[in-house]
Amino acid sequence: MHITADTMTASRSAIIKEIAASPLKINLMELGFLPGKTITLNHAAPMGGPMAFLMDETLLALRKSEAALIEVQLL
Amino acid sequence: MSESTIRSTTRTPRIALIGNPNVGKSTIFNQLTGLNQKIGNYPGVTVDKKTGWMNYEGSTYEILDLPGTYSLYPNSEDEIIAHRVLNHIDKSKRPDYVLMVIDSCQLSRGLFLATQLIDLGVQLAIVLNMADLATKKNIEIRNYEIYKSLGVPILSTDARGIKGLEQIKSLIHDKNFSVDSSYLNIGDIIPQSLLQPIKEKFGLMNDYRAYQMLRFGPKDRSIDPEDRLWIQSLITSEGFDLESAQLEETSLRYRKITALVETCVVKKEVKKPASVMDKVFLHPFWGYAIFIGILLLIFQTIFTWASVPMDLIDGLFAEISGWVNDTLPAGPLTSLLAEGIVPGIGGVVIFIPQIAMLFGFLAILEDTGYMSRVVFLMDRWMRPFGLHGKSIVPLVSGVACAIPGVMAARNIGNWKEKIITILVTPLMSCSARLPVYVILIGLTVPDVNYGFINLQALTLLALYVLGIIGVLVTALALKWILKSEEKSFLMVELPTYRTPRWKDVLLTMYNKSRTFVMEAGKVILAISVVLWVLASYGPPSRMDEIRKAGEERLANAPEEQHDEIQSETSSLLLENSFIGIMGRGIEPVIKPLGYDWKIGIALITSFAAREVFVSTIATIYSIGADVEDELTIRQKLDQQINPATGEKVFNRATAFSLMVFYVFAMQCMSTLAVVYRETKGWKWPLIQTVYMTALAYFAALLTYNIFS
Repeated sequence: MHITADTMTASRSAIIKEIAASPLKINLMELGFLPGKTITLNHAAPMGGPMAFLMDETLLALRKSEAALIEVQLL
Repeated sequence: MSESTIRSTTRTPRIALIGNPNVGKSTIFNQLTGLNQKIGNYPGVTVDKKTGWMNYEGSTYEILDLPGTYSLYPNSEDEIIAHRVLNHIDKSKRPDYVLMVIDSCQLSRGLFLATQLIDLGVQLAIVLNMADLATKKNIEIRNYEIYKSLGVPILSTDARGIKGLEQIKSLIHDKNFSVDSSYLNIGDIIPQSLLQPIKEKFGLMNDYRAYQMLRFGPKDRSIDPEDRLWIQSLITSEGFDLESAQLEETSLRYRKITALVETCVVKKEVKKPASVMDKVFLHPFWGYAIFIGILLLIFQTIFTWASVPMDLIDGLFAEISGWVNDTLPAGPLTSLLAEGIVPGIGGVVIFIPQIAMLFGFLAILEDTGYMSRVVFLMDRWMRPFGLHGKSIVPLVSGVACAIPGVMAARNIGNWKEKIITILVTPLMSCSARLPVYVILIGLTVPDVNYGFINLQALTLLALYVLGIIGVLVTALALKWILKSEEKSFLMVELPTYRTPRWKDVLLTMYNKSRTFVMEAGKVILAISVVLWVLASYGPPSRMDEIRKAGEERLANAPEEQHDEIQSETSSLLLENSFIGIMGRGIEPVIKPLGYDWKIGIALITSFAAREVFVSTIATIYSIGADVEDELTIRQKLDQQINPATGEKVFNRATAFSLMVFYVFAMQCMSTLAVVYRETKGWKWPLIQTVYMTALAYFAALLTYNIFS
């Protein structure tokens, strides 16, 4: 059962389980998206636009397709 | 005395300033160097590096402001610069010391880059900036714990305060930097059979440097192609997967840092709810409404506020011109001064209010953290056109000037999105078009209000919208034409909102205006003078003939016809001057657009820069006319009658056709030069010029036929 961050609903929090293999994996990790971190979906732009996650008090915007690389466990 | 003499003979110590984006690094740079900095946004001057000089207790230090970066992995052009400087690939800017700025509230992300710097073996010191904000958030950092673990000096400060700044200055002055043994043992990840040959070949002392060369060298164009091939063959022969090694390095590093942060940070705060401001600014409806509102407010403000100083400048230079003509003895030198140089300088100075205001607004949007919200909101709508959310920054900057806009495009990591952004940015109506628009609108659109809406303002808005439509349609076409395999990504931080640092905003306004005056101003002034010469002189025999005929007519005509004869003579003289000959040369081509040869001249000269159109027109029509009556340019133009038809030259159809031409035409050699520089070749600037000119021609042709 894979739940990825792009399916999260507003104000939900989740713990990162794994980052899927992708050329973008290194970019996500560099920003601090690492297994064990807690993320909260704060905002989503309309019509499948970017999503803004709160992690360690920083708001980080990702495209939906990028959030889909983050496998999470909902809290 | 003797001490300072000794100091001055040794090389100025160079300190590189590095940090993640949005950590207040630029503020520190500005505070340390004040106005003593070199920033280039125009061709010929480097934009890669911001350099400044700090004077402290009799010593001078060179401060190099590196672009914000999260790691030493070169993902974007900005990051490549930091990567090259710190890995000494760019030997001309090799820093002696590195000062790393970390946001106290974002310790782990900052330490990620800091520990990479430690591994490079640079002389390092760390500034934990925004300490006051951390205190407010109940975050307590035990600096000593970090120091014990990293072994480099650490300073907690708030660089916005005077005390914090003083601490940073004395840290630099005391050369309180140090090198520590590597934080991560890269030899655990990469086999020595790979690292050793690299170290030997490039004379590197350090494993991490060797690893960086191994990982990124083959793709770095500033490295000798033979060396690149050599590295590549080494990797292939060892059959090592460097990409997973990089992932492993990142994981290991973050794991180690997380453990460190747990021991040195005491957080008393629990959970932070979503910012109230973001609820509004990122709202699916109100977010966009506010964005459009802010844009409109900016244009409205510039249009109304800038006109006051602009009118003053316009009037002042007309006055000076008249005064020069009255005071100095009549002769070619006086005419050159009164009709060539003075209006030329005026034509440069008049843009300062708009440029300063536009860059002021952009700096405020950037500094408050709002600009990255715009990226967030716009990404979804830019992508269908082959653009990136970040393209909005170049495009909005393009409203001020395409040059910084094109340069801002380097933040976009993806090649295709960057090229498209660069190619379409000059279609946004820049401030240099504004004077062209303003004069032509003033001439042909009545100044009436329909309720709240002013017809002139509405026309101006329509021109901006036309430019935006041009951007979208062209981008869409380019999206289909250009091919790229590279993956596009967004991943942007939305920094905490804060009040803009007014000093930084003012400094940006000053720097941009200065760069404009120094770089573009030179071109404009030079062209104004050349123009005046070309317009005043022609084939001597022909010019003499006209003058003699004019004098004869004057002698035989009654007094009341003198003015008319004089103006006819000067018109004839101009028609036969060198420039008149050139303008007539292109008349057949531009006639279908509703332009005469005088406008043709302005089209030729304004390829240098669009605003030259105004000074050219001003010069052309003031030559031979009485400068003393101090008529403004607009009034003079309104008096122009086409001798053939007896109608106004600047009628509605011609003026609209001209405005549309300027919406789309390249007409700016500075942009051309900057595109050449950013794309590293003449291919893209040439393609851009050809497509924009063609677009402008046909759009103007259509417009003229609609309105005439």
